[in-house]
Formats: sequence, structure tokens, C-alpha cells
Amino acid sequence: MDQSNHTSVNITQIACHDCDLFLQVPQLRVGQSATCPRCNAFLFKNQKNSVDRSLAFAITGLILYVISNMFPLLSLRALGTTQDETLISTSVSLFKADMPLLSIVVLFTTVIFPATTLLGTIFILMQVKMDKFNDYTAPLFRFLRSTDTWGMLEIFMLALLVAMVKLGDVAEVVFGTSLYAFCLLILSLTLLSYSLNPHDVWSKLRNEITQ
Amino acid sequence: MSAIKNTEITARDAGFISCHFCSTLCKLPKHADLKKVELVCPCCKSNIHLRKPNSINRTWALLIAALILYIPANTLPIMTFTLWGDGQPDTIISGVIHLMDGGMWPLALLIFVASIFIPVLKLIILTMLMISIHLKARWKPKDRTVLYRITEFVGRWSMVDVFVIGILVTLVQFGNSANVTPGLGALSFAAVVILTMFAARAFDPRLIWDVLESETKSGSKKTVSNKDNKQMVKP
Ligand SMILES: [Zn+2]
Repeated sequence: MDQSNHTSVNITQIACHDCDLFLQVPQLRVGQSATCPRCNAFLFKNQKNSVDRSLAFAITGLILYVISNMFPLLSLRALGTTQDETLISTSVSLFKADMPLLSIVVLFTTVIFPATTLLGTIFILMQVKMDKFNDYTAPLFRFLRSTDTWGMLEIFMLALLVAMVKLGDVAEVVFGTSLYAFCLLILSLTLLSYSLNPHDVWSKLRNEITQ
Repeated sequence: MSAIKNTEITARDAGFISCHFCSTLCKLPKHADLKKVELVCPCCKSNIHLRKPNSINRTWALLIAALILYIPANTLPIMTFTLWGDGQPDTIISGVIHLMDGGMWPLALLIFVASIFIPVLKLIILTMLMISIHLKARWKPKDRTVLYRITEFVGRWSMVDVFVIGILVTLVQFGNSANVTPGLGALSFAAVVILTMFAARAFDPRLIWDVLESETKSGSKKTVSNKDNKQMVKP
């Protein structure tokens, strides 16, 4: 792309992403958040130790993610045999049942996007901590922000509960080794999305580029 | 509390363009023909636009595709439970009815909300928002923006039924005695959920507010009022 298309950056003002209202960037104290006065859109917040906390949750999450994938989450015991449910086996069995498209959807939403979110967030936050950025930082963070809604592990957790109740009547449902790790993984992912402050990361990147 | 100076104009009118991803605010180059030149965000290197490009057409296309697929999603079986060679196909609605018959009320309610209520609500809200844009409605822009945010936030939870099917297919595999096979209804339903998620993303909520701007510009009474503004900073 032509460099001449780059324009000058305005860092004292901001536009609301939902109604385009032109606003002064407010100076927030720790714990405060800014919303658009016209449409009430959430703009950004100022949190204490946002980067350190997010990094801690992301690393914890990554470890729990690995454990969650190693052992079964649930098992079903009936007719003398046992069937195991792991994260990846859902998409494998859908693929075997002649549903390749559905299998790909499940693979991306429950295996690939959660993994890229955790790995990518750790990578970006490490760079933020060390104040070292490269050409891939911004595109990677953009990718992470736009795939954020497609990681659906918390919804998968709800689906596990539903399946448990549904099958509990007809067969013996056994909790798998990974189920506990999986519950904690959901907790760390929730805390991560709460503590991560994309605005801070973008501000750092913006300063890096415009100075 | 820091006081916020509200300029009461939009960034576009002030000559600025905001990046969709990193919200970097850039000055619009003078005399730039936006139809010919692609502007690039200096911070995240994505292409920037004043409004999401082709938002109305793309949202309609995705929305209509979702509406069409909603029919097979509800008429075709989402899965078949076979016990001793005796197959029982279930659609979304019959699945909910079976849960109610079995006395599993909380579960029936959950599946009803996730698989029927939320998708229908989402399709209705998005269609109404699109019609309101076409009619250049000035009716309660704040409430319509809230409706938009609800569809964006809640839509993904409809995937729960798709995951339940996946888990049942994985767990209930006992050869000829008992097994669960997924049906084409499940695929159609997943497509509806994904298409409406894309439709919500293609929709630009700023279009709801743009109508008010054009009124202001054409000299009629000022509509971007500041009188009921809440404090911008929340503790
Ligand atoms: Zn706003």
C-alpha cells in the first residue's frame, strides 16, 4: 500500500465506534471506564496492572488448555463399554459421521481459536511488557480481536452440562480427568477477557509508530 | 472526575476517520476521493473507511441467506437417535417437546431460548434495524443501538445446540445397539447462527445515527442534543 495514503494521527480525540461522536480522550483514574455520552457505547477502561494480570491469566489458561486436551472431559458407560469425550473428538466424530463442514466449525470454535487466542495474547503481552514490537504485532492483534467472538469454549461448557443431564437418565455418565481443568480454563478465559484492555495495547503500538 | 467537552459533531463532520480495529483517529486528507483511494491505518495497517464498506448490501445478503436457511434448520432433523435399529429423528422443536415430556423443564427452557428464541429475535431485530435505516427513521436511535448490541452479544450462544449434538454423536456410539447420527438440520442451523453473526458484524450502527447528522446539516433544528447526556466517565 502506498505510504502517501497514511494520514496524520489525532491522539487527543477519539470517535465513538457505534455513533461516530467526536470526543475528547478522557483522562481516566484507575478503575474508571469511559462510555459514549450519546449512545452509551463502552469506549475503554483504565485498570490496575492490566497487562500483568492478563498475562498471568493467559499463561494459566494455556497450561489448562493443554491439560484439557490430554484427557477425556466426559465418559459414557453403557452395555459394558465406555465412550470418551475429549475436546478434539467432537469434531473427529462429526467428520466420521459425514458432516465435514460441521466438524470444521466445531474444530475452529472449540480447538483452534481458543488456542490462537491464548498463544497470541501471551505473545503480544510479552512484547508490550518488553516494549519491543515488530511488523507482525499489529496484524496479529487485529486477528486476535476479530476472532475473539469465535472462540466458544464457554458455550461448549454449557453444552457439556446439557449432554450430561440428557444422558444421565439412560446411562452412566462419568466425569473425566480433564473436566476440572476445563472448568478452570473457562474461568481463566473469562478473567482474561475481563482484564485485557485492547485500548492500552493499541495506544502503545500507536505511540511506537507515531513518535 | 474529568469533564468531557462534547463537541456535538461526528468525527466524519470534523474531518476525521476512525480505524475500525484500533480506533486510531486519522485526519482525512483534503480533496481525497475516498472512492478511488484506499486509506491505510498508520497504526494497525488495515484499510480504513468512514463507514463499513457496502454495509447495507452485505447485511441484507447475509440476513436473507440466514432467513432462507432457517427453514431447513427447523424442518430437517438435527439428529437421529437409534436404539436397537429403531431410529427416532428429532428436529429442533421436537427435541424441545421431548425434553418437556421427559419432565426436564429447565433443560427444555434453555434449549428453547438458545435454539428458537435467540435466533428468531436476532433475525427480527436485524431485519427491523435494516428497514429503519431504509426508512431513514429518526426513532429512538439510542434504543436501536442497544438492540444492535444485544444481537451482537447474545447470538453466539445459539451454538450450544450444535455442540450438544457433537457431544452426543461422540458419546453415544454403541454399534448397532445405540447411536446418534447428526442430521442436515444441524448443519443448516449452524449456518444460520454463523450467517447472523456475520450479518451483525457487517451492519454499521453509525448508520442509525447518520440520519440525525444530515438533518443538522440541512439547517433544520439541531438534533444532536446534549441535554440528556450522562457523565461520560464511570467510576
Ligand atoms: Zn456513541
